Amino acid sequence: MKRAAVQISLWSGLAILLAYSLRGPQSGAGAGLSVLMEPDGTGVWRDLVGQFNRAYPGPPVRLIEGPPATNTREDLYSISFLSRDASYDIVYCDSIWVAKFAAAGWLRDLSGKLSDGDRSDFLPVELQAGSYQGKLYRMPAFTDAGVLFYRKDLVQKPPETFEDLVRLATALRTADRWGFLWQGKQYEGLVAVFLEVLRGYGGEWIDPQTRQVRLNSPQAIQAVNFLRSTVGTISPPAVTTYAEEDTRNIFQNGGAVFLRNWPYVWTLIQRSGGTLKDRVGIAPMVHAPGQKSAATLGGWGFGISSYSRDPERAWQFVEFVTRREQLRQVQQRQGRIPARRSLIPPEMLPVVESARPRPSIPEYAQASDILQRWLSAALTGRVSSERAMKEAAAETSLLLAK
Amino acid sequence: MRNPNQKRPGRGLEALFYLPAAVLLVLVVVYPIVRTTFFSFTRTTLDTGFQSEFVGVQNYLRLVSDSRFHTTLWVTTSFTVISVALEFALGLLLALGADSFVRGRGLIRAFFLAPWTLPTAIIAVLWAWIFNDQYGVLNALLTKAHIVQTPIAWLATPTSAMASIIIADVWKTTPFVFLVLLAGIQNVPRELYEAVEIDGGGAWAKFRHVTWPFLLPFVFISLVFRLIQSFAIFDLVYVMTGGGPGGATETVSVYAYQTYMRYLDIGYASAQVGAVVIILAVTTYVLYRLLLRRYARLV
Repeated sequence: MKRAAVQISLWSGLAILLAYSLRGPQSGAGAGLSVLMEPDGTGVWRDLVGQFNRAYPGPPVRLIEGPPATNTREDLYSISFLSRDASYDIVYCDSIWVAKFAAAGWLRDLSGKLSDGDRSDFLPVELQAGSYQGKLYRMPAFTDAGVLFYRKDLVQKPPETFEDLVRLATALRTADRWGFLWQGKQYEGLVAVFLEVLRGYGGEWIDPQTRQVRLNSPQAIQAVNFLRSTVGTISPPAVTTYAEEDTRNIFQNGGAVFLRNWPYVWTLIQRSGGTLKDRVGIAPMVHAPGQKSAATLGGWGFGISSYSRDPERAWQFVEFVTRREQLRQVQQRQGRIPARRSLIPPEMLPVVESARPRPSIPEYAQASDILQRWLSAALTGRVSSERAMKEAAAETSLLLAK
Repeated sequence: MRNPNQKRPGRGLEALFYLPAAVLLVLVVVYPIVRTTFFSFTRTTLDTGFQSEFVGVQNYLRLVSDSRFHTTLWVTTSFTVISVALEFALGLLLALGADSFVRGRGLIRAFFLAPWTLPTAIIAVLWAWIFNDQYGVLNALLTKAHIVQTPIAWLATPTSAMASIIIADVWKTTPFVFLVLLAGIQNVPRELYEAVEIDGGGAWAKFRHVTWPFLLPFVFISLVFRLIQSFAIFDLVYVMTGGGPGGATETVSVYAYQTYMRYLDIGYASAQVGAVVIILAVTTYVLYRLLLRRYARLV
């Protein structure tokens, strides 16, 4: 008897659960709009969405906190758009997705919506990064550029060339302190680092205009050789598995002299109140003699889904969050750099303005994967630098020739 | 337990009762298979605006010349062979051991089953931390025991990354093999063991002539399940290494996922999946011939 009672309650509980999950989204008027973003650690996005919903009565905008890995969010967007689903009205968009999403017809053309005041305040590189074939698909919000962090207490003058960096890193390396940290894992971050080194040698990956692949060049081989030479000498052997946070953790614990990373690290170090606070400096990435440093541009902004049922309301939100006042709130609480010149700290402006975007091509993801695979193979010593660049160039040319 | 006096319901009514299951099966199994097969013969990409253009076997021909596909196939095959072999050997040993416990068998079963019940993505995160070079518990133990001087970057070199994934997989899925084989062992008529004893046979004879023949269908089931699951491995690899370093742990599923989701090359991704289905169908048939046919002859 008792057993039967337990079973009945279990089954009815399951049935209720099932009925509840099949109930579907509340439809009808005021269903609202949504935006998928990164986990909102500081709560600033929740506040901004709240501010918007209070200031502009209408269908409410809802914040969906997605996974922290950006390519997972890229996939979530892709899955939804492939099925012409209207779940995400507002697209919080990385600059490297713009060409793909725009070419697929998933984003609305925002070219006519930008005011003259905004056009002159937003960084030109970020407007360019948000455009595809001359049309703007993504309003800039934040910018990012790779920089070199160094220990001011150990290094008087930051290195300018690759040779300087290696010399200083070798001299200052100790048993529990590495010379130079960078992101060597097989992922997008590796491409960002490699591009800085490659362009620092005067080379290039893909010509955005002609779509010519330029990896089969002496500069590209020099760039791979440089990164390869650091593994196990001035950089930990495991540097080929590190992403941003792995390197930041080691650097912030005093485990390295130099770190190539994004500016967020500076904010976190300043805020941590640790012993490193006043002992860290920022410099542009190193380059070869006679060349210029070229930070890889990263950046985030907002686009509007072609499948949104209420694009007017979506634009209202995008326009609101990319205003000076709102971007400043995120800057203060998250430490990110707004894409508006009027908000960028003066010491950061030169680095950001000279940063160079990654090629704006719809096949970006695949081109990047080809490069990542061959770079990773070369850096872990499985193939020679020459072969890696030759193969990567051949595969990429085949991809872009279609 | 049908009452023989009761009238059998009509055929029509019977079919009606099958209908819900049939509809569900068509929706979640038949439709996706048909659609994927269709896509595999088309060019459906971002360039075509996701419209399907029929291209015949072109996608399958592309597989033949795609070096990345060959690498993933090799990676997947070696992963599958090594991990399934280890899981089978360990699962069999554990099952034979557990069978000798009369008391507390339920408790042992529950205890061994714990890893199997956890979601793979979570297990992958857990093992990735164990193998982490700076903070991982494995390196901490090895350095404490003075076996290694400097921490080893387990996920950084091709061989150790593959080994790490295999260890995680063996840890997770040995319980499945164990459970299936234990069920098989408990199915063996006990009096046959006595017969072997009377004939003067030892433990090996018991296993060789009684346990193993009776176990064959269970061996088949556990191997087929494990082969199919292993060959399609995605989550463990995706979370632990993302396919790195240098594509050394990229499996076919990871590649197909990338091709579909990130490169938006739906036709080619479908062909990759199609190739896997063909390979698995052939492997399953070979296993069937090897194991079940023999069993049928024995019984």
